[in-house]
Amino acid sequence: MKLKTEPYVINVGPQHPSTHGVFRLRLTMDGEKIIDAEMIIGYLHRSMEKLAEERTYTQNIPFTDRTDYIAAMTGNLAYVMAVEKLMEIEVPERANWLRTIMAELQRLASHAMAGGTFANDCGTWQTPVMHMIRDREKVLDLFEMACGARLTTNYMRIGGVSRDIPPEFLPAMTKLLKELPDRIDEYEDLLLNNEIIIARSRGIAVLTPEEAIAYSLSGPMLRGSGVAWDLRKADPYAAYDKVEFDIAVGTKGDAYDRFAVRMAEMRQSVRILEQCAEMIPEGPIHARLQTATVQPIGNPVAPLVVRPPEGEAYARIESPRGELGFYIVSDGGPSPYRFHIRAPSYINLTPLKKMTVGMTVADAVVVLGSVDIVVGEVDR
Amino acid sequence: MPILAKWYDFRDLGNAIGALQDQILDWGAPDWVPYVVSGIIAVVGILLWLLVSQIVFIWIERRVIGLMHNRIGPNRVGPMGLLQGVADAIKLLLKEAITARATDKILFWAAPIAIFIPAMVVFAVIPFGEGMVLSDLNVGVLFFLAIGSINTIAVFAAGWASNNKYALIGAMRQIGMLISYELVQVFALLSVVILVGSMRMGDIVAWQSGNDVWMFAIQPLAFVAFIIAGLVEVNRSPADLSEAESELTAGYHTEYSGIKFGFFYAAEYFATFALSGVIVTLFMGGWTLWGAEEWVPGFLIFVTKLYAVFFLFIWARGTLPRLRTDQLMSFSWKFLLELMFVQILVIGLETLIWREQAYDASTVLPIFGVINWVLAIGLVVLWARMLGHGTPRTAGKRATLTQEIGKIYYEGAAGPGA
Amino acid sequence: MDDTGTVVAFWAMAIMTVGSALMVGAVRNLIHAVIFLVLSFLGVAGLYITLSADFVGVVQILIYSGAISILVIFAIVLTPRAGRDNSETSMLVPGVVIAGLVATMLSYAAIETDWNISSREGFEETAQAIGEALLDKYILPFEVAGALMLVAMLGAIIIVRAEGAESETVEVEEVEE
Repeated sequence: MKLKTEPYVINVGPQHPSTHGVFRLRLTMDGEKIIDAEMIIGYLHRSMEKLAEERTYTQNIPFTDRTDYIAAMTGNLAYVMAVEKLMEIEVPERANWLRTIMAELQRLASHAMAGGTFANDCGTWQTPVMHMIRDREKVLDLFEMACGARLTTNYMRIGGVSRDIPPEFLPAMTKLLKELPDRIDEYEDLLLNNEIIIARSRGIAVLTPEEAIAYSLSGPMLRGSGVAWDLRKADPYAAYDKVEFDIAVGTKGDAYDRFAVRMAEMRQSVRILEQCAEMIPEGPIHARLQTATVQPIGNPVAPLVVRPPEGEAYARIESPRGELGFYIVSDGGPSPYRFHIRAPSYINLTPLKKMTVGMTVADAVVVLGSVDIVVGEVDR
Repeated sequence: MPILAKWYDFRDLGNAIGALQDQILDWGAPDWVPYVVSGIIAVVGILLWLLVSQIVFIWIERRVIGLMHNRIGPNRVGPMGLLQGVADAIKLLLKEAITARATDKILFWAAPIAIFIPAMVVFAVIPFGEGMVLSDLNVGVLFFLAIGSINTIAVFAAGWASNNKYALIGAMRQIGMLISYELVQVFALLSVVILVGSMRMGDIVAWQSGNDVWMFAIQPLAFVAFIIAGLVEVNRSPADLSEAESELTAGYHTEYSGIKFGFFYAAEYFATFALSGVIVTLFMGGWTLWGAEEWVPGFLIFVTKLYAVFFLFIWARGTLPRLRTDQLMSFSWKFLLELMFVQILVIGLETLIWREQAYDASTVLPIFGVINWVLAIGLVVLWARMLGHGTPRTAGKRATLTQEIGKIYYEGAAGPGA
Repeated sequence: MDDTGTVVAFWAMAIMTVGSALMVGAVRNLIHAVIFLVLSFLGVAGLYITLSADFVGVVQILIYSGAISILVIFAIVLTPRAGRDNSETSMLVPGVVIAGLVATMLSYAAIETDWNISSREGFEETAQAIGEALLDKYILPFEVAGALMLVAMLGAIIIVRAEGAESETVEVEEVEE
């Protein structure tokens, strides 16, 4: 006696308390099981790539804040590295160390948010989120000290950083770094050992390393599947070749391992930051560019208009979500000819259908939480 | 025995009611009038107490969960936010009650009422003090179970009448969970009833105060199982998947707005109060406190204990993540129910031995308590190990740290929901 | 049938039971019919309680309104023609006629029979009496009923299991293509 059932379609999103941004997922369900998943993106498309072609290179830096709005510093960093590669500028030492500090602080803040919202998707009624956002707030206070803005920092410039850190920055950062390892231990103990979180996320959204590499994944999604690939070690930039840290990998490729990888990366960031605080040298924070104009405050600041030579460059960094890359084509003018963002969230969404089919709707939310997308990056 | 038996001896409100009944008879009313009048007073009293408690507890719950979240809860409305519950109630009353066109009008209108009624009716059998029970049924415990099972119909009616697939999915999930945990509830209460020998709530409280022991010290497994099953039956976290905010909007009460939603919300609170009341009565000594009820009114003791158990539920809500429906159901059928079977057997044996040999209660009960505690802890650990929980394969594990680029550490996936 | 309370309660419960039972047959929507069925079960429970059969009354609520009605609901929801109008059937008139005949027959039998009024006083502890009877005098039917229920449950599991395993293999093939 075969039961005749009919599949039906439900929409998860675009307005939904749980999806990370305006993101729509059309699920075809048979009973409680998902048999097909289709994602519809573009709700947050702001045509950044086209708009950037009308603006100068320096004016494009605020755009990079807003692609991945949870991790603005790393967005800035990738872009200015691409332009510097095009113009073959040598960034001074202190600027590189400052960039490393800011990038790692940003990684802490972003993973705190990602971990918290993942626990929220597993259904914890916002308690872990509130606690993790407490740490994120402290990091954002540091950002405010350094550059005046918490979220859209606009800190890096082509050839260095925009302003030096005030003298109270490093002591404040060291104070925060002393408190963080205990807090990260607390989160790991409470969340990683929680039976219910294990039951909700173990074995969900499994990707084997061959699949992960085939889908061009990067970041904690790739490392969660066991592939030890981190651009900070494989293709070092800024000051990463001078500090010691480990790469965190998972062993089972499921949502739980990705969460564990993010927590471990937070610890590694603390380690890097401690080394940076000791080893940062004095010096100029910005390279002397030929067209630089010295403003009355004495520090050379970024020129208003740069004209890179004709050519193309691709620079990539390890953002908290994966490999963030900028591909810039210049035609010698003040604006880029082509400004393309290789957004990790967008590429990491490729296996979403494979991961959700066969699960229930509750699991689909957990899967989406483990991919850790920022829709600003997905849609640009 | 209370020292003063006058009507102003509020340690036992029965004195006042008894005096009122005599007074009415003195005025020459027929026999059934005092009975009806005292019944009405009791009903109104319970309802008022419930409503006030609910409004206060809306505030308490949000402040306590705010404290757990390291933030301040509501503090704007009234001094320290105390009028938050009132503000919520007024808001719900003033909201537009939208009824979609394709809903089943009668069922849509009747479902919130049907959910509300069981939650309130249970209070008829819960003793608030000595003789302060609205209706001292011989089968009080069974009555609680029966009324709780009416909830399933009401939930289905709410989901069906909304004519909305999310609501129907939520309702079906909820019914599945309710059915799974009804048996666990029955067995947990059954083990209490077997030991005491009577289904009347007043008798169980008298047994506990007579033997100077609270039931949960003798039967921890039944206590814990009943709390878990009760959490699922009243649809509170960690089992509130059908109304989870981050999942399918609000489950079976998605389509309800305004005061109809207020009814669902209030019914959940009332049901939780009822559950707490039953837990206090059956497992925590009811309105007795080892003799303090001579001086402190019994109903104050009872209400304090009820609030303490409710705080436990608030705590669980703020802390635990949510389980998926099928995980909850498999927990009930594969884990709790088996433990309950063993518990019933053990309790039955103990009761048999006790009755046959007519031992003294004070020697036998501590032995039973120790046996039951050891059994409870041993069974839970053993059965969990056998089912695969807590093994290294499913234990929590931090990420591996490495320095080598390009090496693959994949070990093979665990099954889903391991 | 002594005091006013019992009489009032009896008539209220009787009207509820019979009225709801009539509505079960009369309403068009099947789900409404189930709700009226639940109401009539509750009415029967009330009738039991007026007869001082407290245990049976409460168990009637627990089993019938709580569990059997859910069974009926699931059966209705799983049939493809659940949404149809109940009155679109050619069996309407024959059904009413047969129901009327059966009702007349039963009422005649109930009214004309010389019922034996038991001389025993009412039971105080019906639960205890029922329990003792089940495990003492009627132990064999009790055990047989238990075994029957076990077999039914096993049968249900086997039916669902075989289907489930079959459909799962089909689904996996579809996904892998």
